[in-house]
Amino acid sequence: MPRNVSYKNFIFLALLIGIILIVMRFTNVGRVQVSPMESAIKDGLAPVQGLLMGVSKNLRNGFDSISSLGKLSEENKALKDEVANLQGQLYLQEELKQENARLKDLLQYQDQFKSNFNFKVAAVIGRDPGNWFGMVTLNQGSKNGIAKNMPVVTSLGLVGRVVAVSPNTSQLMLITDPHSGVGAMVQDSRIPGVLEGITSGGGEARLIHVPKDTDLTEGQAIVTSGIGGTFPKGLPVGRIVGVSNEPTGLFRTATVVPFADLHRLEEVLIITTIYNPEILPATEGD
Amino acid sequence: MRALVLFLLIITALLLQSTVFTYLQVAGVKPDLLLMLVVFNGFLRGSREGAFLGFLAGLAQDIFTGNYIGLNALTKMAAGYLVGLAEARFFKESAILVSLFTMFVGVANQVLYYLLLYYLHVEVSPYYAVIQVIIPSAIYTGLLVPLSYWKFYSSNEEGWLRQRDY
Repeated sequence: MPRNVSYKNFIFLALLIGIILIVMRFTNVGRVQVSPMESAIKDGLAPVQGLLMGVSKNLRNGFDSISSLGKLSEENKALKDEVANLQGQLYLQEELKQENARLKDLLQYQDQFKSNFNFKVAAVIGRDPGNWFGMVTLNQGSKNGIAKNMPVVTSLGLVGRVVAVSPNTSQLMLITDPHSGVGAMVQDSRIPGVLEGITSGGGEARLIHVPKDTDLTEGQAIVTSGIGGTFPKGLPVGRIVGVSNEPTGLFRTATVVPFADLHRLEEVLIITTIYNPEILPATEGD
Repeated sequence: MRALVLFLLIITALLLQSTVFTYLQVAGVKPDLLLMLVVFNGFLRGSREGAFLGFLAGLAQDIFTGNYIGLNALTKMAAGYLVGLAEARFFKESAILVSLFTMFVGVANQVLYYLLLYYLHVEVSPYYAVIQVIIPSAIYTGLLVPLSYWKFYSSNEEGWLRQRDY
């Protein structure tokens, strides 16, 4: 042991690490309820997160507009000054237009499936600060009727499920989170498998345990199978972009890219009630 | 004053990482702003303070995310300690050097995190872990260092982060 580390410090450090390792185990993602302190912190920071997300969206649109201006023709360059003056208004208009289009999509989706589900629209107000887990904070909580395990979708497809709820916010686990497991199947061949997340950063998931002799090709659509009970059958999930053999040699694995852009989520639909999961209309997801 | 500024920096870094940097992801990853703070502090003040701030910053991140309380506390404490070992050995004015340290410690921090994920029964393929998270996040975080290190360094020497001698 180095001279400058006393036995007292060493014992303190060992105790600290031991306690942390135990606490870690008891604070996993599958907990039934978050503690009152965590709940208070999440709810307290929710308005700040919401505000920062709004500002970030506007900034991104601003950067996009500026970069597109650089590609305009000479004629447009002559109008640059005027454009600069109107830019502020344009950003706002563009933002409203995009928001309108997104909400319209969600509304159409709601109308299409209103005989199957009841929805609640929620806005994304924050994400996990790290790169491993795909946890997203939504601005709807138990006060709005949100409960654990409710599926979350966009008009393009499945996004994930609610894993924790506080009075004003809820935590959404994306299907790319390494904890995530979704009963899924290949839409055309009806081959079932389990769709598990890899890492949030990668933005992909894997359909595992697919028997080796089955037809699995790039481009096939994946939908939920309804097995497990959490997700209703037939929700579009993603498309196969790669197929490989599992090390055991008995199964194959397909890499799946979700239909929904999970890196750019802004509004989502939480399915609060499922009336009849067996009569979902056929859908390709995109 | 120093403690208050560090506390505010931790909260700001957490909020930025969970909001603004969602729109500034490169190769699917966000930079680890908290790790940057821990590296700066450890590099300028040594292992003891590096580990202490690493523990506090990591704990704040764990409480903020609400899962696996202690996971980031432990990994960032180790990162702070590790970078603090270099405190007396290197030229502190070089942002490039700190950038390289941040990348190295970023990899070490994420590798420890990855090992602890196994302890928590979260299995991620090593290939995906390295390619999708460990390498890109370490590089991204390291590349942001030159933009912010000077401010932290000058504040540590002459500003609010300076330790007052009474």
